Amino acid sequence: MVINPRTEFLLKISMVWRGIFSLLTFGVVIALWSGILTSELALWLKILLTVILITASIFSAIGAGQIYRREHSGRMISLVIDYLAFVACSIIALNTGEVFIGIDALGETFASGLPYLGIVAMGYFLGVIDEYYTQKKQLWGESSLKVVSRWVMLGGFVLFIFQVGAIDGILYFLNKLTQPLGILSVAGIALFGFFMWAIGRSESAVAMHSKTNHEQILSGWLFLSPNLLGFLIFFAGPLVLSLYFSFTDSDAFSTPNWVGFANYAKILNIQLVSLAYPEQLAKEVVNISVYDEVGRFTFGNSGILFAAADKYFWIALRNTLSFVFLAVPLSVFPALVLSNILNSKLPGMKFYRALYFMPSIAAIVGISLVWQWLYNATIGYINYFITLGIEFWNNLFNLAIIDPKIQWVSDEKTALLAVVLIAAWQTMGFNTVLFLAGLQNIPGELYEAATVDGAGNWDKFWNITLPMLAPTTFFVVSTTTIQAMQVFEQVFILMNPPEGPNNSTITLVLYLYRNGFQNFKQGYASAIAWVLFIVIFGLTLVQFQQQRKSSIYES
Amino acid sequence: MNKNLLFKVLSLLLVASFALTACAPAAPTEAPAAEVPAVEAPVATEVVAAPMEDVAIRWRTRPDNQEEIDVYTKISGELDTQLEGITLTYEPGGTESANYQDQLKTEVAAGTAPDVFWIPGTDVADFATRGLILNVSDLAAATEGYKADDFYAGPMYHLTYNPETAASGADSGALWGLPRDVSTFALYLNLDLINEAGAPDPRELAKEGKWTWEAFLDVAQKTRALGSDVYGYGASAWWGPYGVWLNAAGGGFYNADRTSCALNTPESLAGLDFQRSLYQDHDVATPYGEDPEPVFRAGNVAMFQNGRWATPGVRTVDFNWDVVELPKGPSGTAGNWLFWGAYVINAKTEHPAEAWALVQALTTAQTQGQISALGANIPSRVSQEALDAFLTFTPPTNNQAFLNGIAADANPTAEGPLWAGSWPEFSKVMDPAVQGVLTGATTVEAFGATICDEANKVFVK
Amino acid sequence: MKIKSYRFQQFFSKFSVYFILTFFALVMIFPFLYMVATSLKIPSDTFRYPPRMLPQDPASITMTGYEKPLPLYFVEINGQKEKYALAKSNIKIGTFAPPNDVTKTIDRFIDEVSPTGGADQKTVSINGKEEKLFDVIVDGQTVSMIQISQTTVGEFIDPQDPSKKVYQNVRLSDPVESVNAHAENYTKVLELNNMGRALTNTTLVTIFVVLGQLITSVIGGYAFARLKFPGRDTLFVFYLGTIMIPFVMLIVPLYQLMVLIGWTDRLAALIIPWIFTAYGTFLMRQHFITFPKEIEEAALIDGASRLQILTKILIPASVPALATQSTFTFLYAWNSFFWPLVIINVGNEKNHVLTLALNVLRGRASDTPNLILAGAAIAVIPPLVVFILGQRFFVESVASSGVKG
Repeated sequence: MVINPRTEFLLKISMVWRGIFSLLTFGVVIALWSGILTSELALWLKILLTVILITASIFSAIGAGQIYRREHSGRMISLVIDYLAFVACSIIALNTGEVFIGIDALGETFASGLPYLGIVAMGYFLGVIDEYYTQKKQLWGESSLKVVSRWVMLGGFVLFIFQVGAIDGILYFLNKLTQPLGILSVAGIALFGFFMWAIGRSESAVAMHSKTNHEQILSGWLFLSPNLLGFLIFFAGPLVLSLYFSFTDSDAFSTPNWVGFANYAKILNIQLVSLAYPEQLAKEVVNISVYDEVGRFTFGNSGILFAAADKYFWIALRNTLSFVFLAVPLSVFPALVLSNILNSKLPGMKFYRALYFMPSIAAIVGISLVWQWLYNATIGYINYFITLGIEFWNNLFNLAIIDPKIQWVSDEKTALLAVVLIAAWQTMGFNTVLFLAGLQNIPGELYEAATVDGAGNWDKFWNITLPMLAPTTFFVVSTTTIQAMQVFEQVFILMNPPEGPNNSTITLVLYLYRNGFQNFKQGYASAIAWVLFIVIFGLTLVQFQQQRKSSIYES
Repeated sequence: MNKNLLFKVLSLLLVASFALTACAPAAPTEAPAAEVPAVEAPVATEVVAAPMEDVAIRWRTRPDNQEEIDVYTKISGELDTQLEGITLTYEPGGTESANYQDQLKTEVAAGTAPDVFWIPGTDVADFATRGLILNVSDLAAATEGYKADDFYAGPMYHLTYNPETAASGADSGALWGLPRDVSTFALYLNLDLINEAGAPDPRELAKEGKWTWEAFLDVAQKTRALGSDVYGYGASAWWGPYGVWLNAAGGGFYNADRTSCALNTPESLAGLDFQRSLYQDHDVATPYGEDPEPVFRAGNVAMFQNGRWATPGVRTVDFNWDVVELPKGPSGTAGNWLFWGAYVINAKTEHPAEAWALVQALTTAQTQGQISALGANIPSRVSQEALDAFLTFTPPTNNQAFLNGIAADANPTAEGPLWAGSWPEFSKVMDPAVQGVLTGATTVEAFGATICDEANKVFVK
Repeated sequence: MKIKSYRFQQFFSKFSVYFILTFFALVMIFPFLYMVATSLKIPSDTFRYPPRMLPQDPASITMTGYEKPLPLYFVEINGQKEKYALAKSNIKIGTFAPPNDVTKTIDRFIDEVSPTGGADQKTVSINGKEEKLFDVIVDGQTVSMIQISQTTVGEFIDPQDPSKKVYQNVRLSDPVESVNAHAENYTKVLELNNMGRALTNTTLVTIFVVLGQLITSVIGGYAFARLKFPGRDTLFVFYLGTIMIPFVMLIVPLYQLMVLIGWTDRLAALIIPWIFTAYGTFLMRQHFITFPKEIEEAALIDGASRLQILTKILIPASVPALATQSTFTFLYAWNSFFWPLVIINVGNEKNHVLTLALNVLRGRASDTPNLILAGAAIAVIPPLVVFILGQRFFVESVASSGVKG
């Protein structure tokens, strides 16, 4: 095989570059730990950087050797490392140029550019009209209208760009890039870009004995890379961090200290004590400097006191679970009934389906504000309807039912119920649609066969519909449960304060928010998050077991 | 073809969402917001601002309504021209229900909080001991014309409290800020309802010295009898309104030196029991926990307990109204609060001297006069002139009711931080428990039996 | 007979089906109607009891001799309702009775009676209680009476003939009202309460997130579906697993990450972390995998690059799937509240999104529910419009996600 001298040269400098890069990264690690570079980094970040750099250094060194031996893996290593570094430099450059935080400035000018977007829309309409005519009536062929449309759109867009201040923005960006870090990152982009090109060229590929499947591997990772990098940085990484924080006393701003299981221990520190008599005070049976009473279960002349070191967590857990056990059935059972009705072939069913779906797409914040006024104890519609209903019955049957005048959101007995009703109202339509889809997947022959066997409607429902619907039911119940376990927004907006009367609506996520973002106890908040996750996981597992059982029946 | 059209419809939707934004008037040009000086790209203005001649100072308060925002925006604009070398930006903070103080704490720690902000008196200790606000005693000592005695003693006691030496006063070595205002509760009266019910005029009763709990209950019951949607009394669900009943009965939240809970004393429980009876036995009050202000403004509450800060909003109602001081309780006083809040300086500010200058400018007699003219509060400077001027800021006609509330012989309790503990924690224990009593979920006895065991924990440090 | 009853049964079951469906439809739709109706009212109209849907304004009339226009009320005259103007309110009226027979009551204006004995008012003892005596003129004669009760009335006059007067309780009188929608509430809330800026910000954030998610999930989904590389399937299982993990798990570390990068209080924090989606990638992968491989292979042989195949062949053929995902993302980005609440400062109103602006508005405008609900409508209606336009699609894809799940 003949390799031309240019490729030979490029491969050579690529090899040298790998060596230099390896040494460079190693040098940075040393600088990092010796304190020459910024020493104010958090420990976890330092460790993370070190791991990344050392890995890069080692692989870079291996890569150098492999390029020397003309092994295709050398090319791959080289490409991956340079690509990652290239991306990192680009992001640093964009960040130094304040492109990301510059989006804020766009918020200021965006509205003023809208008329020009209107021009773009106009041009677009012209295009649509043109297409309609060419396709429907074959009037104009390749018309001039299409050209006009394109130019109008382009012109509108350019004007829009000017109007929102893009020119100033670019100048500002270039100005910011002249900082040392900016220049460094631009140099990095050029450097890594050059070496990516040098070893990525098809001649280099041939020289490095790359095959088609190697190319596919590379393009596979390349295509996945934006997604994967984002996923690692904004999802997987934080998830691991969350676990780490849950073992620290992190407050988000100063260096966290490792505290081991202390956070979890505090959450789980509870006492169950039996009471001599139901009204016995908590201070007589537990050490109240550590424990607070959460609740008591009384039976006859005795009872059990439930006390916990963190009483609010347990109240939150109780509220959240009550919420789940009320809201899930309330949004699943009506949905099941409605979907069976909607599944009939009567006219107008699609209209109803669409109506039912509406609540689930509206912003919870907005919707909760609406319900807040509906729930108003003195002037709200809900109490008004109740009053009307009671008057109606009283008149009809000559009864004397007393109007309860429910204080929906300010009475601890109804506050959680008020939140439950909103949640059920919001998810019912969504669940109906899911059930409906499940119903439509049940083969009609089953019902026909059952009819031949003389089965009634109920028999069909119990023996065909429900078992066949089991997978859908599992999906509906588990997603609704996962959603319900995280209830926060409704409570936050509806209740004032969000904890509700006598802490009756403090939920786990609300408590997490309180700890993490109002009391700075982010380590503790992370621990709560993990406990919440375990609870959710457990509930889903139970449901999964149930579903497995019923699907055995189904097969 | 079909899919193509579909694609078009969807992109049109996108354009439509753009167009929706067009409904928003081009904010920078039309909005009266003073903080947007340039219409053109802000990036450009930032570049221009780079040479930095003026120091940019941001400040924040907790406005309850648009009227208040307008007042402070105006003040900010005026001080901006007055103070040389400082560019001011006023930002309205969240409301009480949006956790104003908690938000501030996070922002101070994250470094995004404004340089100067207002906090209620209850939270001064919490902010100071957490190191979130600046001790400006050195700056104050070097300032000509600054005198601690110019302000009411109640607030200044706490604002000069030095947690390290437990000393307080002008030479304690601590100064956490200056009081913006003082305020106190009064009853806003719907005179139309009271007349219609044929109830005696509370203002007359107060003048004759007959304005007691019994007289109050009588007026409340008479007006409540007007209809099922008319209420005799309304108060919001926070510590202020229920605190006065405890105070007036001779009790209170904590003992005299504020080192332990006193919610379970017989006096405190008696006060709470009277308030409970207003809700549960006599059923004269708007449901506890529901906001009474809209109901009052709609003309359906005869006596609405609130501070001076409610005045700008109440001025928009279309019935005859006035104010009267709170009725006297068994202790012989109305048990009123001396509410106060202070302008404090962010511990992380880059311009402490300028921030201190702003704090002073915000608390001059002139600025305070302007703010109180707009109705929101009472000047925090002790001066007869200021008080005389305050009386002329009508309506309400009976402004004297507020001054009676803070007069020395009314013995108001200064709203106070807990230097020996944590006020937010104390409040977190107390509020739900009191709500339980007032909504009838727990009895006063059960409340008394357990409350202090829990509340005293916040003092253990 | 039998046929008839069968028909009746048919009719009855159909009727009950529509009855149930309509009932639930009303429950679902009522809060929206209430929201829109209330957002068009004036504040005092929102506090009325009993509540009503249509926004109405009280009518008034300008009359000579009165500075301000007088409000109009219905009064009953000879069993007929007439429109009269309220000329004067708060006129005190007392019910009086002679001390010897308190059941013989008589109503008089307070300023028509005077205390018996002048300044040194005389009293009489009834049932052991001292009652003040008043001079009341009855049929031209002055009688000393005690006051039983007191209330106030308003003076209503006929606009055509101001000398015709009627006295009655003002609060319980029916005001004359006309339906009038106050659309200016919307401009008010957009201009004064920062909703305009918030709407712009929400739109920006939503556009960026939708476009970003589409790009990353399309190319990621393509890689998972079509390109073979080591570790692909393990990674895919890993992706699938994370779909179940609740967002709140991430909120604390993500916040710290934002603090680290310096994006707290920035719109970028609402955009960049949210353009990478495991769920969207999964959906796209599921979609691409159903696509016939042969077309792609033919194109590859013709020398097309992978990117060309994706943009020229796959994407144009996947519009429904893309549309569905965009709609989902649109809703998610538009409605999100928790993350903006955590990351954007309360004081920095320039960067508030709609949900945050609503959170501030509800505290500041608690006395004007019309404005709050106008704000809520601004946040709620755009997603509804998107939904109605893309309804067929969207509902079907929700359905399919359930079946596959």
